[in-house]
Amino acid sequence: MKKIVLLCAAGMSTSLLVNKMKAAAAAEGFECDIEAYPVAEASRVGKEADVILLGPQVRYNLNNVKNQLPGKPVEAIDMVAYGMMDGKKVIAQVKKALGL
Amino acid sequence: MEGMELLSFQIISAVGTARSMYIEAIQEAKNGKFDEAEALIKEGSDMFVQGHHAHAELIQKEACGEQTPFSLLLMHAEDQLMSAEAFKIIAEELIAVYKRLG
Repeated sequence: MKKIVLLCAAGMSTSLLVNKMKAAAAAEGFECDIEAYPVAEASRVGKEADVILLGPQVRYNLNNVKNQLPGKPVEAIDMVAYGMMDGKKVIAQVKKALGL
Repeated sequence: MEGMELLSFQIISAVGTARSMYIEAIQEAKNGKFDEAEALIKEGSDMFVQGHHAHAELIQKEACGEQTPFSLLLMHAEDQLMSAEAFKIIAEELIAVYKRLG
């Protein structure tokens, strides 16, 4: 079971994306746990995660979060996929980041 | 997805990316990379315009008597929009300061 953590400013907008991603993952039979948090909690919530994704509004924190979580895959969510709430596309990004 | 929710997300995505770019521009200027900083400001401004268009569409609809239903998500999108707008001004001023220091 892979653990996916989404980070945005308040954990609000990404929490809607979580639902879309869960639906997309279920449709593909990809077992995963997905949660959204504010980026300020990156170091705490990132430790348990297999992959960490940042929303476009907190993308400037990318290097900062990478430094806090050495060795973990940390990526920015594709802007178009985010804007369209395209859960399937973000799940594809997760799989790629995990090398699946 | 419902129209309003999608529109809100398009605003958040566009202006949120713009805001990130403005902040990245400051970070580049801090490292003396002024060409990169200017490019990020420009790219961010293009992004911002996209989000602004989506928002302006709603305002025009309301001006024509078509009321927009209120949602916390739309308010969040407007919050991101204002924050991005302010960050551009701050970023440009900070880049100018870094230039003078350099």
